[in-house]
Amino acid sequence: MAFVSSGYNPDKPMEDRISDIGPRFYKEFLPPVLEKNYGKWVSHEILEPGLLVHEAESGDKVYTVRVGSARLISTELIREACAVAKQYCDGYLRWTTRNNIEFMTTSLESAKALKADLNSRKFDKGSYKFPVGGTGASVSNIVHTQGWIHCHTPATDASGTVKIIMDELFEEFTNMRMPAIVRVAVACCLNMCGACHCSDLAVVGFHRKPPIIDHEYLDNMCEIPLAIASCPTGALKPGKTELEGGKKVNTILVNNDRCMYCGNCYTMCPSLPLSDKEGDGVIIMVGGKVSNRISMPKFSKVAVAFIPNEPPRWPTLAKVCKKIIEVYAAEANKYERLGDWAERIGWESFFKKTELEFTHHLIDDFRDPAYFTWRQSTNFKF
Amino acid sequence: MATIEFKGKTFEVDEDGFLQRFEDWNPDWVDYVKESEGIKELSEEHNKVIEFLQDYYKKNGIAPMVRILSKVTGFKLKHIYELFPSGPGKGACKMAGLPKPTGCV
Repeated sequence: MAFVSSGYNPDKPMEDRISDIGPRFYKEFLPPVLEKNYGKWVSHEILEPGLLVHEAESGDKVYTVRVGSARLISTELIREACAVAKQYCDGYLRWTTRNNIEFMTTSLESAKALKADLNSRKFDKGSYKFPVGGTGASVSNIVHTQGWIHCHTPATDASGTVKIIMDELFEEFTNMRMPAIVRVAVACCLNMCGACHCSDLAVVGFHRKPPIIDHEYLDNMCEIPLAIASCPTGALKPGKTELEGGKKVNTILVNNDRCMYCGNCYTMCPSLPLSDKEGDGVIIMVGGKVSNRISMPKFSKVAVAFIPNEPPRWPTLAKVCKKIIEVYAAEANKYERLGDWAERIGWESFFKKTELEFTHHLIDDFRDPAYFTWRQSTNFKF
Repeated sequence: MATIEFKGKTFEVDEDGFLQRFEDWNPDWVDYVKESEGIKELSEEHNKVIEFLQDYYKKNGIAPMVRILSKVTGFKLKHIYELFPSGPGKGACKMAGLPKPTGCV
């Protein structure tokens, strides 16, 4: 399409420039019933999977229908959500912190009709557009990242892995039969954008090879001290090397024995790429949580050291995730998060019951705090 | 990678318009970039920032932190934005010929 100006004048870039106005005030978008009862809610109840009701002091009720979303969605799908909101909810809707969509109405009949309508909408290939669920003790949406769609440091894909895990656990999204909520998160590299370090089940992209050094361009592209300071294990040092033509250049030397393939140096320096088709894959972490309910918040812990990338369906990953969730659902007590359960039965029992292999990769060896993760006790089960 | 011809000189740049090699920098480069960075006329203050960035890079191998830039030049961040509307990274570092800022930017 030919260029169409928005009115911006590139010759006078600062003229009529509006800045620092921040986001719109959220109350502009509150449904009237929420605005009226703001701060005056008395109780709530989950009527059925994906359907909540909140009651206010005034006796007003608001029904919320929660639907899953792929997070990465087109304007077309947003428009369809808007059309649904217009038809049932006077044009109001909201997104949750796990990127589900919530539609709110004031009558149960309209909420039921809305739920039936949402569940009937499908894409051409058969996937639900707006599957209702994600409430209570279920597996709600997966918090995830960019992956091969948009990022330059990933070791795996996000949208792809999330789709196969949600396909595998779809029944758990539309039901509430877990012992407690199960948060799943995906991050495509150890940067862990999102919630991987504090989720019940987390999938993290992982490299297994040190970076390749592009000596010819490194000094031009990179601020060498930054790359050296970015290494958590001190595997990098500044050095000089001779190119093929005999030209001497400043560069970085990598001690491969100290490199654990975190990829931080590539983030700082474009001349140290390390993604690799066969080397890259995912690790699975379990047992994290952010809430204070009963036990304190926990970090998730590495349970599977490596699963290869198997696009487009990642069958091994899907199978392992399903297995962990199934064993947890069968064994844990009510209200017990996955981490609470594993800590109660002991990690040796966790590995036995889930039939995951315990390898030396899972033993912490990062600096002094690693010591505190070893067992200084005779208390263990055979 | 693109090559730019300006006043009889050639500059190799990346897709964001950063110089590929710091050694390629010369005053004509600033003349060439200023337009795309929303700067009409170069003042003494512009030159002071550019000069300091280059000195610091030559000496330390990195671009200075914003607080160091402010402290040494005496320009508050607000003033640096007034000089370079795209900011110290995209604006001033690009004009000074420093490598493109990296990390989660």
